[in-house]
Amino acid sequence: MKRGILILVFGLVAAAAAYGCVYFVCTAPARSLQNREKPELAWLQAEFQLSDPEFKRVSELHAAYLPQCQEMCRQIDAQNQEVQKLLSGATNMTPQIEAALAESARLRSACQQMMLQHFFQVSQKMPPAQGLRYLSWVKEKAFLPDYGMNSQP
Amino acid sequence: MKNEPDDNDESLSKLLREWRPDAALPPRFQEGVWRRIERAEVPAARSVWGTITHWVGAVLPRPALAASYIAVLLAVGVTAGWAQGRQENARLKDELGQRYVRLLDPYLAPRR
Repeated sequence: MKRGILILVFGLVAAAAAYGCVYFVCTAPARSLQNREKPELAWLQAEFQLSDPEFKRVSELHAAYLPQCQEMCRQIDAQNQEVQKLLSGATNMTPQIEAALAESARLRSACQQMMLQHFFQVSQKMPPAQGLRYLSWVKEKAFLPDYGMNSQP
Repeated sequence: MKNEPDDNDESLSKLLREWRPDAALPPRFQEGVWRRIERAEVPAARSVWGTITHWVGAVLPRPALAASYIAVLLAVGVTAGWAQGRQENARLKDELGQRYVRLLDPYLAPRR
């Protein structure tokens, strides 16, 4: 009986250990990306198989784009507040609301143009096949009506 | 005439007592006998707990079965770990991809 229990327990422990080891090994690549200084860029490098020089150029583009993106965020926030302020007491369409909505639309268009230009520039720094794959994926994420947040690259 | 059968019985008994088999038993004879006895016994109805304890105590320790049991559990552990790990790896990578897009898209970027 004692030997049987020992075998039973040993089997369960072995199964748990095997599960843990394999799980740890399988998730190691993603955990390693998450522990990098810039996980998003590290992911980009791994996902689109960029060499170090390609990654350096993409990182430079990324760094140059971020201040423009932050400035755009600031303008969008300010414009959203303006629209909210105008809408809060409004009961009819006014020229000010029309102008504010037009400005919101202009900002959105400018934002999309800026993003698209960045995506094209990034894709051109990648090997051609990976660049096309990147463009296809990022356009789906950023330009489809639902932003395609559930699809794989 | 009357004594003849008795004399025969007596001599037969004496012969049987003196007789010693000189033939060697076949290998694992005793184990074979016990196995046949085990097989011949009508198994009494056991409770679930009784079945488990019998299985753990008598059946599981058999080397072939013990090895198979451990091999199967190892295979289950490896397969489950691989499937879950792969799924989690994909989820983490997808999350990083989404974070990359949120970083670049002012309409998806988290507001400070």
